[in-house]
Amino acid sequence: MSESVHERALQLIAQARVEGIAEADSTWLRVHLEECEFCTEHARQTDRALRSLHTASIPLPEGLVTRAQFRVRLRAEELREREPRHRMLWFACAASWIFGVASAPYVWRLFAWLGEVTGMPKLVWEIGFGLWWTIPALFAAVVLLLENARQTEEPDWTKQDG
Amino acid sequence: MGDEAKSIARGLQKRDPDLLDRLIEQYQYRLFRYLVYVTGNKERAEDFFQETWIRVLERGHQYDGKSKFEAWLFAIARHLVIDWQRSKKAQSLDTLTDPDQEHPLQLTNEKDPSPLHQVLSQETEQNVQASLQKIPAVYREVLVLRFQEELQIEEMAGVLSVPLSTVKSRLYRGLEALRGALQGGAAS
Repeated sequence: MSESVHERALQLIAQARVEGIAEADSTWLRVHLEECEFCTEHARQTDRALRSLHTASIPLPEGLVTRAQFRVRLRAEELREREPRHRMLWFACAASWIFGVASAPYVWRLFAWLGEVTGMPKLVWEIGFGLWWTIPALFAAVVLLLENARQTEEPDWTKQDG
Repeated sequence: MGDEAKSIARGLQKRDPDLLDRLIEQYQYRLFRYLVYVTGNKERAEDFFQETWIRVLERGHQYDGKSKFEAWLFAIARHLVIDWQRSKKAQSLDTLTDPDQEHPLQLTNEKDPSPLHQVLSQETEQNVQASLQKIPAVYREVLVLRFQEELQIEEMAGVLSVPLSTVKSRLYRGLEALRGALQGGAAS
């Protein structure tokens, strides 16, 4: 029997256990194992190795589950307490934005009047108006960024590809 | 994926504490065993066990129920271990997970008596367990995921964040190493 025949048999033995093999390969392997003691022994050892994995057991430390459950409940409580603060923040942002839109024409006139009284260039008070309008959004963004920074990093690997 | 995965996903979205309690109990042994094999250390595995469930609570909204929950769970556990290892050794993730590197995912000093060995030696099949301990962690991990946890190769690729071909090559090498270790030969 040639060396390559054994090589193919050994490869198929491993492949059958790792990812499965085609029916034709399986038949060929069965026939080969019937007449080859070396490959049969190899298959037996491989199966023994895999059986050992199935039977391997590790004792669970006492109280591990209870401790984990306790910690998870504690953390869940913390997260729940944080939720109303988030809702308040979003509400404040929304209210501020609506008020900002509604009052924009009046504020524009106010800035124009201030510009006229102080004699500052038009571009300056226009920028001032723009900044005033973005302040609530900037404030909210800063608060949210700080809030997120306090939490642990959110790595990409926890997100699923689908 | 089944209704159970969808139901878990819905529960995790709501951070349902009762669901978390049930999941912790249901997956306690599998997760702990996986962590012991990956870290090679029982005490550390205990810490990671708790951290993993905290992470599941915090990031539960990212589980969509389209894949097996255990695959997602193992991925979280694995990355916690790698993050810790990376911060400890200040090495890159790729270096730690590349099987061709000198000591991939090997947390313990091989010259010292391994805590994993201490844990495993309590068991009746000491010879088998000691053989497992001889295998590099990166191969031990794929063997555990495939033959103990019975994950599909595609699911394993997701857990390990590597291509299918890498999973397969690690499995073949791991199987060979395990066989060799059981025979009493060199496992590498």
